[in-house]
Amino acid sequence: MKINIHQVSHLYDVEVLHDLSLSLEGYKSVAIIGVSGSGKSTLIRLLSGLEKPSAGKLYVNDHSVDEEAYRKKIGFVFQHHNLFPHLTLKQNITLVLEKTRGIEKNEAENIALRYLSMLHLEDQVNKLPKNVSGGQAQRASIARALSVNPDIIFLDEPTSSLDPILTHEVLTAIEELKSLGKDFIFVTHVMSFVKDFADYVIYMDKGEIAEMGTPDILDYPKSESLKAFMEKVR
Amino acid sequence: MRKFRAYFLAILTVLALVVFVIFQQEDNFSLASFKPYQNLIASAIGNTILVSLVALLGSLILGFIFYLFSISKIKYLNAITDVFTEIIYGTPLLVLVVITAFLIGPAFGTYNRNLMGYIALIIYMTPYMKNVYQSGFSSISRDQYMTMDLFGFTPYQRYRYIIIPQVVRILMPPMMNNLSMIIKGSALLNVLSYNELYYAIRVAQSQTFRFVEGYILMWVLYLMITIPLSQAAKVIERKWAL
Repeated sequence: MKINIHQVSHLYDVEVLHDLSLSLEGYKSVAIIGVSGSGKSTLIRLLSGLEKPSAGKLYVNDHSVDEEAYRKKIGFVFQHHNLFPHLTLKQNITLVLEKTRGIEKNEAENIALRYLSMLHLEDQVNKLPKNVSGGQAQRASIARALSVNPDIIFLDEPTSSLDPILTHEVLTAIEELKSLGKDFIFVTHVMSFVKDFADYVIYMDKGEIAEMGTPDILDYPKSESLKAFMEKVR
Repeated sequence: MRKFRAYFLAILTVLALVVFVIFQQEDNFSLASFKPYQNLIASAIGNTILVSLVALLGSLILGFIFYLFSISKIKYLNAITDVFTEIIYGTPLLVLVVITAFLIGPAFGTYNRNLMGYIALIIYMTPYMKNVYQSGFSSISRDQYMTMDLFGFTPYQRYRYIIIPQVVRILMPPMMNNLSMIIKGSALLNVLSYNELYYAIRVAQSQTFRFVEGYILMWVLYLMITIPLSQAAKVIERKWAL
């Protein structure tokens, strides 16, 4: 995967990202970490094209992230599962495939069942989101993100609303997806998962990239702020 | 089973109260004298249901318009909605019916009291319906809209497959409760001599002098319409909950 960020700033009421630039190539799984409010969720949203930056440009795999074609090549998993509550797990996927990708009904069902099984949900396919556990719903949302066959999958703190057992369940399921050969960009607070799953880590602090490198930086941080952060999360 | 027994006892308690009230009367209790009026009463029930359905439909439409006003970027429309809502909330339905039929109607050149009665009920229910829409649409989270963006649903697809199916489920129970509010409110149209249930039974009473029977009959008939509705609303709420 190739990521290029040129002088990106982003404001809500206050500036959350300040003049960020970055050039990365050749990594399959990039983790963005940092304390709450450091701008990591904003960065992942900008990279996915979900939000537009106040200033600057972002490119992923040589596509500008505001291109419609880029949108069709990514999958995004939110903090909360965001499944449509009136549809079953299976329908959540088939609706997307049939309406936005023009895939016909039977084929859409096959794809839905394939990905739901991949995430060990074969027994839950006909249940509504409210009738499954938080972990199962989050896994279904990952299945939905995968079903559109994206090149890159974004995960924005996918386990932050889950208890430790469900967190483990979801993260294990994500690790199993490595074999699919997709690229991942993710935000998480679970450092053991970063070490296992990421091949590159971006540490953010106060709207800037404070340190980045291979996951080794977590064990041997150079900057004072990453040192302090690792002390806290350990 | 215990729950069933509790409800059985509760209903029995109410019936005991009714029986007590009936036995406190000096005359014998007899519904037979209302027999000759059964056609009048039947058509009155029909009218009560008709006026209520018309008011429901009308207030659904007008309520939606006011809902759109309330979320509009045009400040004047927001203000109109607020002022209208405040006035209606503060007005007793009886007062609204009388003013609509005897003042507003004639001012616009119409003396059709039935029509004005319908309109009064519609106006009265509109702010409540507006609220129902408000809670329905606000229950669709920002995150869901973001998800729709992400997958690239067209505006039509969003409403057709995602927003409306959810809103309808959320709207149904409060809408049915509002319908039962309209049915009860429609009794006030008797002041316009509109032949609805309350009016018809008052007519029968004035000719038979059977007041106790009349009021009890009236009461039971209203309950026969409203209780199934509220029960149905509960069932739908349980089945359709998201």
